Amino acid sequence: MAGALTDPTRAPVAFGRRAVPQLFGELLRAGAAARLRALTSLCDLVHEPDRLHQAVTGGYLKQLKVLFRDEDPSVKAKTCELLHLLTSHSIGRQAVLASSLLPPLCQLLDDSSFSCRRNVHRVLSRLALLPAGAEALLSLVSKLMLKLTKEEDEEVQLLLLSTLTHCSRLDALPGLASDGVSLLGRKLSHRSSIIRREAAAAMMALSVPMDGKRQVCEDAEVLPVLVGLLRDKDVEVQANAAGVIMNTVIITTGKQRCLDLDVLPVLLGLLSEKHGDDDEEEMKKRRKALIMYVLRALTSLAEAPNGLRLLLEQLPLLEKKAEAAGPDQDIRRATQTAIQVITWTP
Amino acid sequence: MIGAISIQLQISGSSVQTTVRMCYHFSRPKRLPQMRRNWLGCSPTRFKPKNAVPRHYGNIMYDRRVVRGNTYAKHILPTTAQPDPAEIRRQQANRRRAIARKQAREQFRPNTPEALEGRKHTDVQTELYLEELSNIIATMDIECQTDPFLDRPATPLFIPAKSGKDVETQIEEGELFDFDIEVQPVLEVLVGKTIEQSLLEVMEEEELACLKAQQRAFEELRNNELAEVQRLQEMERRHNEEKERRIAQQREVLRKEKEIAEKIAARAYTQQYLAGLLPAVFTSLRRHGYFYNPVEKDIETNFFPWLMDEVNNRVERRYTAREILDSKRH
Repeated sequence: MAGALTDPTRAPVAFGRRAVPQLFGELLRAGAAARLRALTSLCDLVHEPDRLHQAVTGGYLKQLKVLFRDEDPSVKAKTCELLHLLTSHSIGRQAVLASSLLPPLCQLLDDSSFSCRRNVHRVLSRLALLPAGAEALLSLVSKLMLKLTKEEDEEVQLLLLSTLTHCSRLDALPGLASDGVSLLGRKLSHRSSIIRREAAAAMMALSVPMDGKRQVCEDAEVLPVLVGLLRDKDVEVQANAAGVIMNTVIITTGKQRCLDLDVLPVLLGLLSEKHGDDDEEEMKKRRKALIMYVLRALTSLAEAPNGLRLLLEQLPLLEKKAEAAGPDQDIRRATQTAIQVITWTP
Repeated sequence: MIGAISIQLQISGSSVQTTVRMCYHFSRPKRLPQMRRNWLGCSPTRFKPKNAVPRHYGNIMYDRRVVRGNTYAKHILPTTAQPDPAEIRRQQANRRRAIARKQAREQFRPNTPEALEGRKHTDVQTELYLEELSNIIATMDIECQTDPFLDRPATPLFIPAKSGKDVETQIEEGELFDFDIEVQPVLEVLVGKTIEQSLLEVMEEEELACLKAQQRAFEELRNNELAEVQRLQEMERRHNEEKERRIAQQREVLRKEKEIAEKIAARAYTQQYLAGLLPAVFTSLRRHGYFYNPVEKDIETNFFPWLMDEVNNRVERRYTAREILDSKRH
């Protein structure tokens, strides 16, 4: 081996099976710069599944705990990046959850260095994909909500929102308890469509329990913004907004308020919208969600007398839609349910 | 360093004068050491003063009794004045042995035999050149002076002498190996590995995207169904509520009706009761004497009791009087 390193930012990697253990050993022994190099090499190695498996099952995760308290912010950021790569596989996620790395990780949330915090958020959002992980993160939801108000960076906001969505899908109560509805309502009018989409998705998750629905209705600003979002350009944003409305109109107050806001024509308009390239698979799939949500919302709205009156007039449209749906079972079922409800008489 | 090198040759004859080395007896005080005579009998000093005692003084430096220089190879004189008797005996034995050896050697040394009768041995010069043999030893003094040290010059390049034959050869363009052909397997491996790796990564990404899409579809369905379930739940709840309300309403209605019926019955009864109430009341009152003539009442209440009381009094008095009379009669 030549004396000079080929890449000065990375530690030399041993061959074959010794690579991962040796790098971890170096992490224990070495000084600050060498630790950074070893971490960089580890990050490179861990992309491969074998090495990941080796790293996870070798019991090295405890060493990472020590590294969290290191003074150098780049070391902390790199450690979080390593964790992020480890959580891209299921065994990694499970190992991270099992090894009680979460409390020190959560302390890093308040760290001063931005890249460190961003990487921590990445790790958390990946962990939240697993149900067990979401469960473990439920205790953090209030803290994450606070962070949402303070963080300015879009990427971090996005990560936070996706974490919150997943956690709230599991159990929305902590999110509701920390005033999630009003927070998310503010994010709904963000300029970036991705953030709007994620915020609407989080809101949809939050509005599943009854308490959430009530809060959405009570909050005076949220519903008008949502109705406005129905006219957004991005299909996903529209779909998520329709989902929130679908959840909200289940309760009577929701129905009343939405009818007051004149939501019916908008929803009907969304149903009958035609795109130029309707046959495109991708668009069809995305629109499918939108259509389903809209249909369910209409079904719920049809239970209110005002809504019923309006919808009775639109019945032929719905019947046509049912036929046009064709092979798609779900849409057909949804339209039939809608028609059933509309034509129900006591 | 400057050194004088003097070379002195001494040829010793076959007959050896053994000098008896005795230990040093200091017999005369304060005299210069006398040099011993050398073997020719001349003392080193050529010029003798006429009336000098024939004393032979010598240079102390050349006296063999003075120890100079290194002592590790010198003959060490014993410190004691008297020789060890054992030493003496040993030395004498050595001397005797040396003499014996010499004699033995001389015995076995072949000498030239004696000349026969009428012959005589003579010395004849057989050599080509005459050599002067003399006592005087030809000495020469040579001096040498080293120059101050110069820098060692660089070793000249050692170019060995050429040996062997000169042979030339030239490799033409395509003779050794064809780069294009040779490089192919290397390139194949490189490119193949890279492509394989990237294909793997792309496949992984696709798989992930597929999984994500599936997850999303599932999520949407789930949301939908969840909404439907909730709607139905809500509907059910509302229906239940409605039912409850209706039932409560009905109950209310029934209660009210019952109340009304009771009220009507009560009303009828009271009416009936009250119809005959008034004359009955009056009759009863009149019967009880609540309607009275005030004068009559007054007379009744006030006058008559007084009258009766007065009558009673009078009658009492008459009676009392009669009693008294009766008692007096008897």
